[in-house]
Amino acid sequence: MDLPVIEISGALNAASSLFLASAGLTLIFGAMRVINLAHGSFYMFGAFLMTSIVGFGTGSRFWWAVPVAALAVGAIGAAVELGVIRRIYGKEHLTQLLATFALFLIFADLGQRIWGADARAVPFPLSFFGSMEIAGESIPKYNIIVVGTAVGVGVALWLLLKRTMLGWRIRAAVDDPELLEASGVNLKLLFTLVFALGSLLAGLGGAVISPQIAVGPGIDGSIIVGAFIVTVVGGLGSILGAAVAALLIGAAETVGTAVAADWASAFPYIAMIAILAVRPWGLFGTPER
Amino acid sequence: MVDATGDERAAARAEPADAAARLRLLRSLGVSGLALAVVGGLALAGAFLPLATALDIRNAIGLAVFALATNLLLGYGGLVSFGQAVFYGAGAYTIMLTWQHWGWSFWAGFALAPFLGAVLALGIGVIALRARQLYFALLTLAFSQLAFVLAQQQHEFTGGDNGVFGEVLPAWLADERQGYMFTLGVAAVSCLLLWRVVTSPFGLTLRAIRENRDRIQALGVNVFLHELVAFAISGFFCAVAGVLFVVHTQSAYPQLLEWTKSGEPILMAVIGGMFAFLGPVVGAFVYTLGQQELVQQTQSWKLVLGLILLAIVLLRPDGLVGLLSSRPWRRLRRRPAPARDGEGER
Repeated sequence: MDLPVIEISGALNAASSLFLASAGLTLIFGAMRVINLAHGSFYMFGAFLMTSIVGFGTGSRFWWAVPVAALAVGAIGAAVELGVIRRIYGKEHLTQLLATFALFLIFADLGQRIWGADARAVPFPLSFFGSMEIAGESIPKYNIIVVGTAVGVGVALWLLLKRTMLGWRIRAAVDDPELLEASGVNLKLLFTLVFALGSLLAGLGGAVISPQIAVGPGIDGSIIVGAFIVTVVGGLGSILGAAVAALLIGAAETVGTAVAADWASAFPYIAMIAILAVRPWGLFGTPER
Repeated sequence: MVDATGDERAAARAEPADAAARLRLLRSLGVSGLALAVVGGLALAGAFLPLATALDIRNAIGLAVFALATNLLLGYGGLVSFGQAVFYGAGAYTIMLTWQHWGWSFWAGFALAPFLGAVLALGIGVIALRARQLYFALLTLAFSQLAFVLAQQQHEFTGGDNGVFGEVLPAWLADERQGYMFTLGVAAVSCLLLWRVVTSPFGLTLRAIRENRDRIQALGVNVFLHELVAFAISGFFCAVAGVLFVVHTQSAYPQLLEWTKSGEPILMAVIGGMFAFLGPVVGAFVYTLGQQELVQQTQSWKLVLGLILLAIVLLRPDGLVGLLSSRPWRRLRRRPAPARDGEGER
């Protein structure tokens, strides 16, 4: 029997994009219990910065453009945390949703002012342009980069959270922020760092995905919905949950396209609604008090 | 006066009761007077203002119904739904699709739309209300996106991205000024009905649930059922607002269902003040007319709106009406200042 190589590679690519867009979101929620509606804006900035740095050149600048874009977005994230986000920790979820929705609107406007209303394209890096043969099927070479980055981010986050002092503190902040602060940890600095890291991941996601999509205004709103589906299905705050959910949703999308193309983009939402109807707190989440 | 007679004591007790009754009477007179003045003023505006301005106001009136209906959940029920656009869009699509596919008249569609909105809300509510707080907000958001992509993809039925448009209105309603009066009338009736809902025992229970859910549950109230009914009522009036959108534009398209559209009535309610009944109406006018002005002058509507919203959320959670409301107003409403933030609910 032939393996459906194309479908598997497509599903993996979709899952990786979703995971890259949602890893930072769920990391931030896990540590600070803040849901950031403007997370998609950071993703959009990552992609927009790529269009500016790589431009219409040959794509040789691609490799250093990715980390530069990610770091720049991380810096924007730190500024946003200092200016706005730290005022809404522990507030009602409505306050958090509204404040970050306000940021979403502001960033959408700024993005359009800086980069214009037209869609832009980012060229593939030359060495990953075109397609390759796997089991007799041709697969876009660039998929390797997307999947590889997603796996890399997943492993790095896991190592960070489980094996480093910073990760130990982040996990402690989830359980008991007051005790952590009492034991001499600078909680404010920690939260700024985590938020910057989450934003950086969003920027990295946008930068890495940018050659595969049309980069323009509106990608912030569409990606945030995908990221929400993944984080909510996986359970808010769970990195493992986000990874599993990204695979599930990526598979649902791909199978959906194969089975009933007309209904394909409804599949992720139906999957989300079905899973949340059974487990309202997501696969790996904990019930809210 | 140690040995006051029973009569005197009764009189002394009755006096505050009389005062309270007078206050209630004054209050209801004041409220109806204010309501009449507002509706009358808007009717005059619709009759005599330049047509372009009148149309902007008509748009705002329709959206005010949308915001009021959403605020039944937001301000009274404490439920943040990012899915109200489903019912708004359903209201508009009901009219346009029944007209296009089966040749229904506007009136038949108008009769069906609110009930369809309520039934949809019941279906979505049964699932979404199982989740709490953030999960509820995000689940309703998913329903909004589901409706959006369905409307986009099923283009044979819905017309896809272009949506449905055409001369669906009867001739007299298609006339702008008469359409204005119709919109105002429907909005006024909706407003009155929603006022009855929030002042009824049901509305009071809903508010009590917002304030202390666990306690109300412990008192034996079926919290889920109350929230579900509120959701259905809100869906009903969101669909009415969708009908008014058709009166305004004679069209329906997928963006009416998108989650950012669901965000609009929330913004209006928050800008105007979600703890006052008419706050969302004020918000709808400020939002719609402000958008008109700003789009014409600076083209940075989102930027300004975002900054205003941020300022309100961080500085004045009770919105414009809260800012304007002076002491006597607050005493009449007999509510403590809604400083409900920072209760550490997460």
